[in-house]
Amino acid sequence: MAYAVETRDLTRVFAGKKRRFRRKRAASEGDEQLGPVTALDRVSIQIREGELFGLLGPNGAGKTTLIKILATLLLPTSGQAFVAGHDVTKDPFPIRQRINMVSGGETSGYGLLTTRENVWMFSQFYGVPSKVAKQRIDELMHVFGLWDKRDAKVRLISSGQRQKMNMIRGFVTDPDILFLDEPTLGLDVNAARTVRDYVMNWVGRERGKTVLLTTHYMAEADEMCDRIAIIDKGKILACDTPEALKRMIHTQTTFRLEVDPLRDTSTFQGMDGVVNFSLKDDASKNRTELTFILEDEAPVAEILSAITAQGAKVHALRKTEPTLEDVFISMVGRGFE
Amino acid sequence: MNEVSARRSDLAFRIALNLRSIRGRAYPRIIGANREPSWIFFEAVLPLLTIAAYVFIYRAIAANQIVNANAETAARILANTNALVASVVLGGAMVAFWLNVLWSMASQLYWEKEIGNLQLYMMAPMNRMALLGGMAIGGVFMTSVRAISTLVAGVLVFGVVFQVADPLMLLAVFFVTLVALYGLGMFFASLYLLWGREAWNVSALLEEPIFFSSGFYFPLGGLFNYGGWGSVVGIVGSIIPAGLGLDALRQLTLGQTAFGGKFWVLSAPVELEILLVLAIGFLVLARYALAYLELLAKREGKLTSRHQ
Amino acid sequence: MSTYWRTFKTAAWLGWEMDSNWTEPWLFLIYSIIKPVAGAFILVFMYVVIWSINGIADPQSFAFLYVGNAFFIFVGSTLFGTFQVIQSDREWYQTLRYVYISPISYYVYILGRAFSKILVSIFGVLITLGFGFFFLHVDMRFTPDRIPLFIVSLALGLFVLLAIGITLGAATFLMARHSQTLAEAVPGVFYVFCGVLFPLTILPSWGQSIGTAIPLTYWFEITRRILLPFQYNTGLAAFGDWEILAFLLISTFVFFGLSLGVFRLGEYLARKAGKLDMTTSY
Ligand SMILES: Nc1ncnc2c1ncn2[C@@H]1O[C@H](COP(=O)(O)OP(=O)(O)OP(=O)(O)O)[C@@H](O)[C@H]1O
Ligand SMILES: [Mg+2]
Repeated sequence: MAYAVETRDLTRVFAGKKRRFRRKRAASEGDEQLGPVTALDRVSIQIREGELFGLLGPNGAGKTTLIKILATLLLPTSGQAFVAGHDVTKDPFPIRQRINMVSGGETSGYGLLTTRENVWMFSQFYGVPSKVAKQRIDELMHVFGLWDKRDAKVRLISSGQRQKMNMIRGFVTDPDILFLDEPTLGLDVNAARTVRDYVMNWVGRERGKTVLLTTHYMAEADEMCDRIAIIDKGKILACDTPEALKRMIHTQTTFRLEVDPLRDTSTFQGMDGVVNFSLKDDASKNRTELTFILEDEAPVAEILSAITAQGAKVHALRKTEPTLEDVFISMVGRGFE
Repeated sequence: MNEVSARRSDLAFRIALNLRSIRGRAYPRIIGANREPSWIFFEAVLPLLTIAAYVFIYRAIAANQIVNANAETAARILANTNALVASVVLGGAMVAFWLNVLWSMASQLYWEKEIGNLQLYMMAPMNRMALLGGMAIGGVFMTSVRAISTLVAGVLVFGVVFQVADPLMLLAVFFVTLVALYGLGMFFASLYLLWGREAWNVSALLEEPIFFSSGFYFPLGGLFNYGGWGSVVGIVGSIIPAGLGLDALRQLTLGQTAFGGKFWVLSAPVELEILLVLAIGFLVLARYALAYLELLAKREGKLTSRHQ
Repeated sequence: MSTYWRTFKTAAWLGWEMDSNWTEPWLFLIYSIIKPVAGAFILVFMYVVIWSINGIADPQSFAFLYVGNAFFIFVGSTLFGTFQVIQSDREWYQTLRYVYISPISYYVYILGRAFSKILVSIFGVLITLGFGFFFLHVDMRFTPDRIPLFIVSLALGLFVLLAIGITLGAATFLMARHSQTLAEAVPGVFYVFCGVLFPLTILPSWGQSIGTAIPLTYWFEITRRILLPFQYNTGLAAFGDWEILAFLLISTFVFFGLSLGVFRLGEYLARKAGKLDMTTSY
């Protein structure tokens, strides 16, 4: 069976920025001249039809780049990508018929039109008959709680409402494959919940509807996705179900410590039995949260004494079940937020 | 492929798809005209100020010329002045189309990129020419409302008299001129994708110089009669379809014999033929330029990046 | 005072950078010159055409409109400059809110930005006049004894322009969408009613009344008295040079005062209506 999405050694390199002005400029702008960036590095993934597939990775990992290539907006530098069995480079038309994309924080349409008109306009670009489109729009407006803003001009609605409109724009063309790039960005808790439920239901409801989702919220990925690929610096580090990913580090132990801010964390680096660690500052409490992935519990004593040696107090110590974030820390050695 | 994902891609579907796309993209422009009526009022009346300024120049000079003239010369001067005033009013109405082409066609794709719409358009299955076509049709509608108001107001305020002997020909010239103009706009739209903020300046730069070289406010033949560099400027100005179009429109509304018949570039039928060639040429150019630039942008990652 | 001066200088520099940084300076200069010169050429050919059609030359009318048009470059760029500052900051750069909430006086900021426009337009005016004098043999004269009068009238004219520009610029706070229209309408009105291209006497009498009520009319009148070697019946002969200068000076003060008031009001109303950082893309 054909995959909904398949990439083979997909690589995308962005050329270094050319200097826009030949005039002499402040040194800082000259420094901005970046070398080429490898946004995707031999990425090979397969997404099955009907799957809700997650892409998890820090800023600049290459998630959006991958989605743009799959959405036929960007060409690969090398390697291949297939969507619905068609090559994105050679055969974009049948792909475009079957996909749609929604990105968090995007602005789409015209401020002069109402939300309903805007979505209708985009549906026309997919050849959806007006009657069908209007019916779908009304349904979706109810679902996403935008019904009372249906006749509001887009320039007058809030950014969260705009994001709901974008979601509706994504579903109104009834795509087979939907790319969601941080779809819950800027949505309040209830709205985000609605979006998650709707997406999960949509994928499950009909056979053959596929979603590729990127997000920064671990819990969201954990809850929603059938499978997740962890991506960092353009490379896929792991790809499996959330459970399997967590099992991968099951033999390891996760500890969370809440301590006074530390001056020096380099001592943890080479410690025996420390797989990886991350730290997150909580400015409001003037504390630091440390997460350790350990081979076993042996190094805990050494860690504690290293902390107290710096004159810092340990306020809390917990052994926790591994989360997706821990999987990520274990692989990359960096936290997320 | 299961049932759900089976999609039509036959010719009938594609035609329907692209017609819907054209309508979809034209919609915001057409509706825009209704939604901001006060704005349209201003835009229709504003050109009257420029027209008035130019009309009074002709009248002021003619008033001086007439002072020492005999009755026969005076009558000739009056007739010529009326024809000149009519030329200005026609040109002033056509300016709306040129400005629309510059500001709402040429710079539009660039602008769409800035506000984030372009990637959504480029991701859709419609033909790219349908997108440009929708923009153009919406623009023509919006601008026609404005240009006609300007024309009517100009005729009323300045007492212009037109004599149309061949309305069909007039309509044909007008229509072909618009197609050629907006074809040029589509071509520019693709080119502008290459540029960044320069786009704005390029459009600004194509105002006065084109008003001049396409003879918006005087018969274009004046440039050609001047010989030498005048003809060169005139030829450049004729490439902008408004130049020849206006010349033909003036011949068809003022009569061949106006200005002693010595200030026309070519005869109206010949101009219509050239305009037809221009129209087709620009549309074809636009089609290939856009395809090429889309490819280029997809390769360089410029289709989507906002604020470079 | 020194903060104001710094703000002014910074804004003038910023204006220059924003206008010119899209290209190299020499390209920008050419660009700044081509538009006004092409504008002048429209008029030149209108004259050439009516001259050759009717077979009667009228060099005085030609000099009249050529000089008027050249000086009108100041009007266009100053008025457009002040409008555009508010408009482009709001729509394009979306930085207006940052500029506005910073403690520097926005008023001085606008003055500074407009100033850089005036500097650039000086090139346009000089090139247009020079071109007319040397290549088109426009009948102009410039004797040294007139220099002081010329400088005073030019300075006063520009002050009046700035003051009018800011008064109207303040109004753009109130009409987000229409400011572009306003930016074109106001210079358009001046173009028609201030005796720029033709004497006021050619206008219908209500038009003449409008013209005589606008200070710029007198600026164009005195400028032409200085630069043209002949008398041209403009219907304003009754006003002496000093009367005109005094009138310009008073107008400057009146409009600056007015602009401060309108500006305060506009700012207040805009904040109340939430229009300060409104964008209108469509
Ligand atoms: N058009 C472009 N031109 C040059 N470099 C680009 C372009 N688009 C992306 N990049 C670079 O490619 C890398 C990957 O970017 P991408 O947007 O795919 O990251 P991401 O995973 O979506 O990050 P985020 O979580 O912040 O959205 C980054 O280093 C980015 O700077
Ligand atoms: Mg991203």
